[in-house]
Amino acid sequence: MAIEFKLPDVGEGLHEAELLKWLVDEGDYVREDQPLMEVQTDKAAVEITSPVNAQVSQLMGAPGDILHVGNVVVVFGDGKAGTVPGEKEAEAAVAVAAPAGTEPRAAAGVAVLAATEAAPATVPGGRALAAPATRKLARELGVDINRVAGSGPAGRVSAEDVRLAVGGTPTAIPTPATAAPVFTPAGDVIPAAPTQAQAAARAPVVPGVAEERIPLRGIRKVIAERMVKSKHTAPHVTTVDEVDMTELSAFRESAKAMAAAKGVKLSFMPFIFKALTVALKEYPYFNAAIDDERQEIVLKRQYHMGMALDTEAGLLVPVIRDVDRKSVFAIAREMQDLIERGRAGKLQPDELRGSTFTVSNQGSIGGLFFTPVINHPEVAILGLGQTLDRPVARDGQVVIRAMAYLALSFDHRLVDGAVATRFLNRVKELLSNPTLLMMEAM
Amino acid sequence: MVMGSIKIGTDVLVIGGGPGGYVAAQRAAQLGKDVVLVEAEELGGTCLNHGCIPSKALISVGDLVRKVSDAEDRGVKAESVRVDFAKTQDWKQNKVVKRLTAGVASLLKTAQVEVVRGKAKFTDSHTVEVALNEGGNAVYTFKQCIIATGSTSVNPGFFPIDGKDVVDSRGALAFAEVPGRLLVVGGGYIGVELGIAYAKLGAKVTIVEAMEQLLPGTDPDLVAVLMRKLRRLGVEVFTKAKAGGGLNGGKVRVEDAEGKVQEIPADKVLVSVGRRPYTEGLELGRAGVQTDEKGFIPVDGQMRTGVAHIYAIGDVCSPVMLAHKASAQGRVAAEAIAGMQSHADWQTVPAVIFTDPEIAYVGLTEAQAREQGYEVAVSKQMFAAIGRALTMGESDGLVKLVADRKTGVLLGAAMVGPEVSELIGEITLAVEMAALVEDVALTPHYHPTLSEGILEAAHALLQNINKGAVH
Repeated sequence: MAIEFKLPDVGEGLHEAELLKWLVDEGDYVREDQPLMEVQTDKAAVEITSPVNAQVSQLMGAPGDILHVGNVVVVFGDGKAGTVPGEKEAEAAVAVAAPAGTEPRAAAGVAVLAATEAAPATVPGGRALAAPATRKLARELGVDINRVAGSGPAGRVSAEDVRLAVGGTPTAIPTPATAAPVFTPAGDVIPAAPTQAQAAARAPVVPGVAEERIPLRGIRKVIAERMVKSKHTAPHVTTVDEVDMTELSAFRESAKAMAAAKGVKLSFMPFIFKALTVALKEYPYFNAAIDDERQEIVLKRQYHMGMALDTEAGLLVPVIRDVDRKSVFAIAREMQDLIERGRAGKLQPDELRGSTFTVSNQGSIGGLFFTPVINHPEVAILGLGQTLDRPVARDGQVVIRAMAYLALSFDHRLVDGAVATRFLNRVKELLSNPTLLMMEAM
Repeated sequence: MVMGSIKIGTDVLVIGGGPGGYVAAQRAAQLGKDVVLVEAEELGGTCLNHGCIPSKALISVGDLVRKVSDAEDRGVKAESVRVDFAKTQDWKQNKVVKRLTAGVASLLKTAQVEVVRGKAKFTDSHTVEVALNEGGNAVYTFKQCIIATGSTSVNPGFFPIDGKDVVDSRGALAFAEVPGRLLVVGGGYIGVELGIAYAKLGAKVTIVEAMEQLLPGTDPDLVAVLMRKLRRLGVEVFTKAKAGGGLNGGKVRVEDAEGKVQEIPADKVLVSVGRRPYTEGLELGRAGVQTDEKGFIPVDGQMRTGVAHIYAIGDVCSPVMLAHKASAQGRVAAEAIAGMQSHADWQTVPAVIFTDPEIAYVGLTEAQAREQGYEVAVSKQMFAAIGRALTMGESDGLVKLVADRKTGVLLGAAMVGPEVSELIGEITLAVEMAALVEDVALTPHYHPTLSEGILEAAHALLQNINKGAVH
């Protein structure tokens, strides 16, 4: 008996993923929960595990393919220890429940909102094809079912199509293979936009073409959308100051051995997080968000720190939760783990969600200072420059101190320049005086 | 006993206890509303008391008689089948109708709906005064009201009903004995159903219809099969004909299609020329509820009238008068009142006519589908080729399926033949689920059953569509 395994929902609201690689071969026997494949969603790389003990008879798709939630991805085969014995031979195929905690999604494909008022389904009567229960669902979710393109046969609208239409971020159905080639001004011909299957593969290099076209996909696409959203929504102002890190540097040096004994590498970041939580509690408008829809200011009582992380795939922002309640060691350890798994593309989607304030530490790479973009819908982001020994004036003398620039970008809708400067002053005060920081943060 | 000016407040007041009203009342009560239902007659309305149910009881008795006496070719000799019609009526009334109306009463009791016996009239948009059957008046104020007063037979000027020898369907269902000669004025479904039933019970039946076919609006392919059976049953049919002037000296004047006037002898006349919405005495105007020129109350998709807190369901709001539709609308109204997102948005409401053979249809007819711009594909399957129909001795009939050639979506079905009143359910579900013809064809159907007629029609249609695709 064949068992069809459909791509489960790998994270809230995600409905497609790129197949990175297969972890099994056709003909392999797999155990339940054994990883089958690795997929890249728009947030993270995720391993999909087997729902059954069975033999793999068919792998549907090649690395680079975009898979939709609900697509059959693996067919398990023929009576070899299938865990779902059929009672009747007639049951040729059985859909298997997705791994724990996720719901299998029946419908393949994705929904789009039609561009016009006309029903996209090919029904002259203008009435979408859908079952009564689906119609009811659409009414309950406030979706005009006649404007949802169905993924089913003849354009039948499934419950899943309706739910996706609610999400508000409908994904366009990939352009079919009939897309016309693009002619550049130079007279070069660029192949038509890649089809679904080709999309994730490297764009072919066509001799004589002066540019290369790569589909905007996955993490890059999300970054692009978020940056635009943030810049469009929040009027950014960046205020810059410098902080004397000499004493914190010394303090960190003295603690390094202790940390190493615990297997922890100690950077400045845990101290910066701690200093921020102290300041955020005093200036709650910086640990906040604007609910644009309801026109309300949401002050958050949790201190979840986002940390901008450079990876090969692009910028990720893993989150360390409840920083105010964790020790410096605990934060450092967690950070190390997130960085390692983030660079390996192994973070789970929920590890990339829920921050209330974000720090971007460009200084570990270089640069003096920069103007970071707010991690929307947060209110501010702290950009950290490189800590360098620089000559500064102290008590009328030029001395060498370990100095770093702090750049605070904030949403001027919610906080004003004076408050931002006071907030940054407080952060600076805490960072330049580790004793004070310890007294305040403990 | 509540008299005079004492006002009783309720969340929902339902006027009429038919299949629309009682379902609405029950549903509203289930959803936590205080519900009062006002009914002047028996619970169950026209359907249970004077329509669907008693007529089907008589029809089934007629079928029984006919089956036994019409099976000599199958080796069954019924020397003398005698019908004790008084007993038939007693059975119909006490074993069928009363049992069902008692069932409705008990459903409403369980749901804690207060049933008030009397006739309601609005005094303003939030108040109804009920002239109680037991005497006196009661005044109810309501937050929301559902009007479910149904319909009543049209009493035409050209053939007035006298309630004795010239009756409406209600009267015909209550005949004390089977009339020797029955003339039916109006060949719609009520007249033809009852005409056939009485023909089988022994009456000499004549049906006079003004339009060019019986069951106007029904697919002629289906009516053709019915006409064959009517001939065998000895029912005389006049189409494009006029009956008028009433029953005079045991005769009815009928002008046939050619304009020739005949005097048809008749003991009883059933006048079944249609039904109209029943709103007499309701004083809708005082509540601000409008009716259209034909007396129907216009409603929106949630069954709301022009007055937002007053709803109307069933026969009183549309000329397609079907009990199952009224019930479905009743549910929608009750749920809308409870704040749910319910909507009368079904694709289609099936129609069934309990003639012999039965006729049923759902969805679009071939003609309607063309009008709506579909590229239509049609298939027909005769019951003569279906094993089960032959074994039943009832092989005259067909299943006709209509689909969109472009997409293969099943649009509708029309059937005539044995038990098609039951078979239509499959296609109703299929159309409502937006099934493809292929979905039906790929679904195993039990052998040997009448439902194989649908299966074969689906396969034929699929082939037809695929062939079209090759060109």
